[in-house]
Amino acid sequence: MYTNIKSENYEQEKQNMKSQKLYWDYVDGKVDTNINYLDSENIKYNYSFIYAMEKQTDTSYSIIDYDIYTSCDLSSMEEYSAYGINETLYTYMLENRTQPIYAIIVSTIALIIIAIYLIWSIGHKEGEVGITLNSIDKIPYEILVFVCLMILSIALAVVVNMGGTINYVILLVGILGYLLCYAMCAVIGVTTIKRIKAKKFIKSFLIYKIGKFCFDKIQGWFRTINQNATENKRIFWYYLLFIIISIMLVSLFYTGIAIILLIGFWIWAYYQIKKYILEQEKIKNALKDIYEGKSNDVHLNESELKGALKEMAIYVNDIASGFSNAINESLKSERLKTELITNVSHDIKTPLTSIINYVDLLKKENIHDEKVKEYIDILDKKSQRLKKLTEDLVEASKVSSGNVKLNLENINIKELFNQTIGEFKDRFEEKNLIIETTIPNDNIKINADSRYLYRIIENLFSNITKYALEGSRVYIDIIEKEKIVDISIKNISKDKLNISSDELMQRFVRGDKSRYTEGSGLGLSIAKSLTELQGGTFDIIIDGDLFKVHIIWSKV
Amino acid sequence: MYNILVVDDDKEIVGAIEIYLKNEGYNILKAYNGKEALDLVNKNDIHLILLDIMMPEKDGLETLEELRKTKNIPVILLSAKSEDYDKIGGLNLGADDYITKPFNPLELIARVKSHLRRYVSLGTIKKEEDGNVYSTGGLVLNDDTKKVLVDGKEVKLTATEFNILKFLIQNKGKVYSIPDIYENVWKEEGFGAENIIAVHIRHIREKIEINPKEPRYLKVIWGVGYKIEDEK
Repeated sequence: MYTNIKSENYEQEKQNMKSQKLYWDYVDGKVDTNINYLDSENIKYNYSFIYAMEKQTDTSYSIIDYDIYTSCDLSSMEEYSAYGINETLYTYMLENRTQPIYAIIVSTIALIIIAIYLIWSIGHKEGEVGITLNSIDKIPYEILVFVCLMILSIALAVVVNMGGTINYVILLVGILGYLLCYAMCAVIGVTTIKRIKAKKFIKSFLIYKIGKFCFDKIQGWFRTINQNATENKRIFWYYLLFIIISIMLVSLFYTGIAIILLIGFWIWAYYQIKKYILEQEKIKNALKDIYEGKSNDVHLNESELKGALKEMAIYVNDIASGFSNAINESLKSERLKTELITNVSHDIKTPLTSIINYVDLLKKENIHDEKVKEYIDILDKKSQRLKKLTEDLVEASKVSSGNVKLNLENINIKELFNQTIGEFKDRFEEKNLIIETTIPNDNIKINADSRYLYRIIENLFSNITKYALEGSRVYIDIIEKEKIVDISIKNISKDKLNISSDELMQRFVRGDKSRYTEGSGLGLSIAKSLTELQGGTFDIIIDGDLFKVHIIWSKV
Repeated sequence: MYNILVVDDDKEIVGAIEIYLKNEGYNILKAYNGKEALDLVNKNDIHLILLDIMMPEKDGLETLEELRKTKNIPVILLSAKSEDYDKIGGLNLGADDYITKPFNPLELIARVKSHLRRYVSLGTIKKEEDGNVYSTGGLVLNDDTKKVLVDGKEVKLTATEFNILKFLIQNKGKVYSIPDIYENVWKEEGFGAENIIAVHIRHIREKIEINPKEPRYLKVIWGVGYKIEDEK
């Protein structure tokens, strides 16, 4: 035994140690010490030592009562003790505490780069375009996450509760647990990124699939109602649904939100009905347009409509396009006809020019033979009539196909009639026709193309000079009414009128007797077409020998 | 002796026109398409051209366009095309007149004469327009001598006709209705005699116009009134 205790007095030395240094005392299983927290509860015993001590009590030495005091000088132990090592480490770390920051920065950057690369590359398989999903990615998302979190939490529980004592089994379980934790995190992370990249994230939720399934079922049910049921049954189903939802909401009335929902539902239902009626109105208007001949403007948007309304819209569109096609076709053929007539008339006019000119030259030759003179006269008349016919033909076809450009302006009907009567006065007087006019004193303005309006009156007056009974009266009455001007021109025909007024207005038709006289028979047809083109109405009334033309025009 | 060039691919028409114009004492040159016509114009001193539109090689409008780059000779287009836009198109290209086929030989001669007079004699002389002489185009009304000249040729008008024409030519370009004319010429309000004025106007037109149905000077605006066209 070695000791540096020099004192003889045991008690005194004990007090000395207690006062100056750390001491530790073990007496009869009891500990006495001045080291903080190192009382009996916190002391680890070296059992073998205690055992040896206790064993000694049985020996012959019989040391029944002895104390052991140990003490140490900390300054000399510094380097080797656990405290010393920790102290050294602590000082080292304190001095170099700035160093790891660089490591942190570098590793964070590396982490970000790797993460970006991984996020970017996940799901791409060599030789395949797009995102490749495996069977894990097809498991509904919340189920997968739930399972992974279960495994994760079990593994974590194992790892955390391993306790202080370590043996190989526990170590193995721990390592496995950590690996499982990482694996689960990786699985969730990877599959989430892949699903988002494949744009299937929301779709991969089980709840989405269930919702979509229910929605499809309900929609399918609605579609069956919409397609197969009659309008009558459909209304019934919709109404039933309305009542059921209303009752459901009313029965939940004690909660405040149900009232709001119910009112909202009713407003929604009102707007649905309103929308339906407005759409119906649109179809009605389209039908009205077709009825009024404006089928070109009709185009209903079928895709906006549903059910019976959609069907209606499709039918209406079909009818409208059929109508406008037919109208366009007939317009086109009318235009082609006009073009053809115009071109043919050009081709006729050129040789006709020679005929007229050479007939005229023949007339100037010194011919004494009366017969030849008579023949030349006939040639002259007929060639002139041919000329008039071609001109009228072109005009009639242009006017009846609406192929004229109107230059509408305000025209004074009174002035027009005075001018026209002035133009024809001599020709009327030649036939001893007496003109009786009733023309109001005030000016009457109508909207018309002045040249074509003159053409109408000119044609009528020219007919009168040709077909009126000589010495009879011609009545021209202009009657001003609230919104219209009523023009009537009456004369007595010199020949019996044995055809109807409708026939008279058709192209090329004349009273039989007049067939061999001058004129083309197109005058009335042209006058009627021109009147109608400018928005007036043109009627012919035949009453015995009385021939009456009735023109109505709206005033400005 | 004036040289007139007649251009038409129809030889008979050219022949007939030749006869008519020769009777009037003009010298005729003939061409059957646009190219020939341009050749003749360059080689001869030509005073007037009658030009058909529809021709092979070079049609009338192309010929006219080419011609107008260098020459100022009066050109009367001659065509079977009688649409307004054909006439307007031709006149805009620089034609002086437009006659549709089949034409009245008398009208053709009258127009030829009128254009020649204007081109050769009147065109160069500056019209004296003092207080009592009024004119538009080839129409001249002299209030002192009470004479009316159309392209230098005197036209006989009655006193009423002269007064109406004087009033309209004094206010050329403006449109006057029958009551306006009555008030201004007779200096009193006229009732009942309205179509008398219209008759007078028609008579004036028949005297001063080559084709009264398509008047050049005294225009009728149906339903509005009458006016004298203001020609420079």
